[in-house]
Amino acid sequence: MLEIRSLTIRDGHREILRDLSLRLPESGVTALIGPSGCGKTSVLKWLAGILPLEAQGTVTLDGAPISTPHPALSYQPQSDALFPWLTVAENAALGLRVAGLSARAARARVAPLFAPFGLAGTEDMFPAQLSGGMRQRAAFLRTIVQDSRFVLLDEPFSALDAVTRLAMQDWLAARLSERPRGVLLVTHDLHEATGLADRILVMAANPGRIIAEIPVPLARESRSETALAPLREHLKSLLMEKAR
Amino acid sequence: MLPRLLPVLILAACLLAGWEAWCRIAEVSPLILPPPSGVVRALIAERAALGSHALATMGVAALGFSLSVAFAFATSVALHFAPWAARGLMPLFVASQTVPLVALAPLMILWFGFGLLPKVLLVVLVTFFPMLLSLMSGYRQTPPAFRDLLASMGAGRWTVFRRASLPSARASFLAGLRISATYAIVATIFAEYAGARRGIGIYILAAKNNFRADLVLAAVFVSATLTLALLGAIRLADRMTTRGPGHA
Repeated sequence: MLEIRSLTIRDGHREILRDLSLRLPESGVTALIGPSGCGKTSVLKWLAGILPLEAQGTVTLDGAPISTPHPALSYQPQSDALFPWLTVAENAALGLRVAGLSARAARARVAPLFAPFGLAGTEDMFPAQLSGGMRQRAAFLRTIVQDSRFVLLDEPFSALDAVTRLAMQDWLAARLSERPRGVLLVTHDLHEATGLADRILVMAANPGRIIAEIPVPLARESRSETALAPLREHLKSLLMEKAR
Repeated sequence: MLPRLLPVLILAACLLAGWEAWCRIAEVSPLILPPPSGVVRALIAERAALGSHALATMGVAALGFSLSVAFAFATSVALHFAPWAARGLMPLFVASQTVPLVALAPLMILWFGFGLLPKVLLVVLVTFFPMLLSLMSGYRQTPPAFRDLLASMGAGRWTVFRRASLPSARASFLAGLRISATYAIVATIFAEYAGARRGIGIYILAAKNNFRADLVLAAVFVSATLTLALLGAIRLADRMTTRGPGHA
């Protein structure tokens, strides 16, 4: 269990986030939704250890305080952040190389995952030669292969077109069901949140805080548009109410 | 390759034809402006001497340029990790660029003699700054997402620099390298002009003193060829080291 306690983030005198606490279970997807500027990405960046702002709060893993960045957490930024000068295999192995694995050992670890990730044959290609969806899959591969217990995803599909985005959401759900991990997903997209998450945390802005925790009780296979419509309406009204 | 070069070849041919025609029609004295055919004749007649002087110039330029690249790279890395030092040193580097080459070249000869050292120092002094600036500007162009990603993986400052900042600076570095390469030949010729035993600069000085405008222009042609050769070598290195179609 990963737990954030009393997180407050300030940018100078402005309070971005106030006293936020949340628990992230070992498996399942928790979506963080809210209006722009409510501090969703700041929570993720703080957990990833890359937030350049003043922050107070603690993060514990199985009850023990940890400092970030931590090997139990892997982070995927908003863009796919694939390095254009590295091949897809080298990009996928980047986290392992930074962790100290040799190029050969890292390549051996990522190689078996190319086929399940729909990237077979792209190992020696460069990111510019891949489609948007394939790039995103390569970025996921880089995140997943680090084998961390928790995955932090910052709007991972925001740069994709609508059709690819839907396909990628299904694909991600399938990958996560193969090897469950605790996922914290930041998104603007209610369809994405309701389609992927087991639990949705709704945030409000000024200062950023969690205003509602809504479980998604439906199994993934029964999440049809009709079944999810009432939940989306509820989330929309919550967000609109706070925006007024 | 040829279709891309065709416009420049046609333009150059037109200019040379116009120059030749004007020299002949206006009966311009070859002491003032020799026609291109006269320059070509001088090039052929003096090819051995010009070749040997060109080799000397290229040797100095290549040595000075290589040292300058190494020095600029080492300095850029040091300044990248010590921004406070950059704030102190950059004004001095800028000031060094305001010293005119015509004043500096004779002083270098005066201080360090007619050997290799003053010429190499002059090349380093002239070519160092554009490369330093281009490298430092290149490091700053590292996409923040790349830095964040590596930092979230637990990478330290050096790893972030080596894996993200350094490759991100490639395009900027190559641009600085091209600018500096043109300066390298000019600076070498200036240094030789101020005092040397061999080199295109001293050849031009001797030709000018003998009122041989054709030889001066032949030497100018050789100097332009040397610069193009250096730029060609950089282009080749660029092509050989490019990794991936998205990597500038």
